[in-house]
Amino acid sequence: MNSSKDILVEVKDLKKYFPVRGGMVAEKRQMLKAVDGVSFQIYKGETLGLVGESGCGKTTVGRTILKLYAPTSGRVIFDGDDISDLNDRQMRPYRKRMQIIFQDPYASLNPRMTVGDIIAESIDIHRIAAGEDREAMIFDLLDKVGLNREHAGRYPHEFSGGQRQRIGIARALAVNPDFIVCDEPISALDVSIQAQVVNLLEDLQVEMGLTYLFIAHDLSMVKHISDRVGVMYLGKIVEIAESSELYSKPLHPYTQALLSAIPVPDPDAMEKRDRIILKGDVPTPINPPSGCRFRTRCPIASDICAEQEPDMKDYGGGHMAACHFIE
Amino acid sequence: MDKLLEIKDLHTSFFTHVGEVKAVRGINIDVHQGEAVGIVGESGCGKSVTSLSVMRLVPSPGKIIKGQIYFKGEDLLQKSEKEMQKIRGNKIAMIFQDPMTSLNPVYTIGDQLIEPLRLHKNLDKKAARREAVELLREVRIPDPEKRLNQYPHEFSGGMRQRVMIAMALSCQPELIIADEPTTALDVTIQAQILELMKELREKFNSSIMLITHDLGIVADLCSRIVVMYAGIIVEEGSVRDIFYNPKHPYTWGLLKSIPKVNMTSRQRLIPIDGQPPDLLKPPAGCPFVPRCRYAMRICQEQCPGLYSVSDDHNAACWLLDSRAPSVTWDREGVSLK
Repeated sequence: MNSSKDILVEVKDLKKYFPVRGGMVAEKRQMLKAVDGVSFQIYKGETLGLVGESGCGKTTVGRTILKLYAPTSGRVIFDGDDISDLNDRQMRPYRKRMQIIFQDPYASLNPRMTVGDIIAESIDIHRIAAGEDREAMIFDLLDKVGLNREHAGRYPHEFSGGQRQRIGIARALAVNPDFIVCDEPISALDVSIQAQVVNLLEDLQVEMGLTYLFIAHDLSMVKHISDRVGVMYLGKIVEIAESSELYSKPLHPYTQALLSAIPVPDPDAMEKRDRIILKGDVPTPINPPSGCRFRTRCPIASDICAEQEPDMKDYGGGHMAACHFIE
Repeated sequence: MDKLLEIKDLHTSFFTHVGEVKAVRGINIDVHQGEAVGIVGESGCGKSVTSLSVMRLVPSPGKIIKGQIYFKGEDLLQKSEKEMQKIRGNKIAMIFQDPMTSLNPVYTIGDQLIEPLRLHKNLDKKAARREAVELLREVRIPDPEKRLNQYPHEFSGGMRQRVMIAMALSCQPELIIADEPTTALDVTIQAQILELMKELREKFNSSIMLITHDLGIVADLCSRIVVMYAGIIVEEGSVRDIFYNPKHPYTWGLLKSIPKVNMTSRQRLIPIDGQPPDLLKPPAGCPFVPRCRYAMRICQEQCPGLYSVSDDHNAACWLLDSRAPSVTWDREGVSLK
């Protein structure tokens, strides 16, 4: 069997609804359908990118895979084991193997803990090492992410955004995981620093054989780092393909609009380009449109789109998309 | 083209308890009539402080220490607060970064739109209301009569930014300062807003000073670019100059560190190593020295002035001195499809 095609994470028809509070007392309780039937696989050693606009459910997908949220329905299978219904204690052995890097390097580090203690928190929880061994591990992790050993005794406020994100990465690596959810890890960083962090993530992936789920709204960065990319819209995946394929031959009208909307730092290319400007805003996930969810903004929508939800179909080479109008 | 705005040797500092942070350290920027100028740079480079200085809205403990800001020939720094109030929102309008917090949540959109119209244009209530409806229609807000009576929380992020733009346009300002107008918005909404700004600029012939960190947006909207780093201007020129013939190593670094959508292979990004300097104690020489791979001895000792590359393309780098070794910018990592 081809080892590069082993599945590490599989998600089957995953749904996550959140109850919405407020409104009149007698009113029926409404559900916000953050993720509404999402299926995909992540292969060992690859990076799967997940893109979409705010509110499309991409962060919820990441957090539900890690069981930080309990799925409403659907399955999450990690390395062959179904972890969807495990309780916190049963999850423990899996927590060591799956980690997360958060978006905001300012809010995700405890300001009262030293960098060493932040990094070693999971080492302590899982009782991996103590005393000198623990210290050696901290130093090793700091080296790995390009920080100095003296940094272990300092506090987060002494560091810049890029350095803090390195601390967050070291913390995720501390338990030697197989799988890391990178939830917008570079969105809060400056352009020149983003490239530093992306290169670090790529080096670590090769060095430690990591598998990434890379969540972001910056499509050019996602293309750069991902092997495959999934595009989400209102709680659904509308298209998924190998990243070069997706960017050169986008099939779904939403993907096409999304790609054409990225401002390219190249004035000549900008001038030549045909932009698809979508009408209106993303509808609310509390009451999503019937049929295809994109139809309210879609330039090619017709009657069938309101009546029938398009299925995901394979258009060759694992390039899947859900639209009635793809030839 | 006439100079609409002329910033001369502007210095703005913040007097914090740990010392003076020199946020803007002597910059010169001209904005001509009908022109869109982009000011790019990373956080802390002084781009927002520059725009706030023009509006005379630098928050305490910040202070404009030195320089002149001529708007249509008159120095704004000599104006009284009362005179400034007649200019703000009327002749110079500002669009802020965060549409979520820059509208007042306890007043309706209508109240907030009508206020500048009554104040600056002396319209009566009815006329101002008619005008406000017209403005909302101009920025493509559906059902404007009804929308006027709603509160900001009833609008989405993109809609609020449209309202902000409508407010900025309400008195047909000659200069619009847009500070990261689309940073808080999603890509498809950003495309809508940029398209709208382009259209409105042509229609009203306003000048735009766009502050952003996104080189893509500048390429789309502006004709001239000013690159700032650590409170000074390191390079300025036409959009084509900056993208196709950049001269400053910092501009090279910026262009190389962003991936291109049309980049074919999974090439490695070339980051700018290190971090920007601390402006509490700005370096004596060029502020980019610690991150510059071409730094020479003189770069440590003395800050270079602007060297002229061509007509209005200037860069502050010792490499442009006739005595310096010649370094050419290779396009590795920058796509030119």
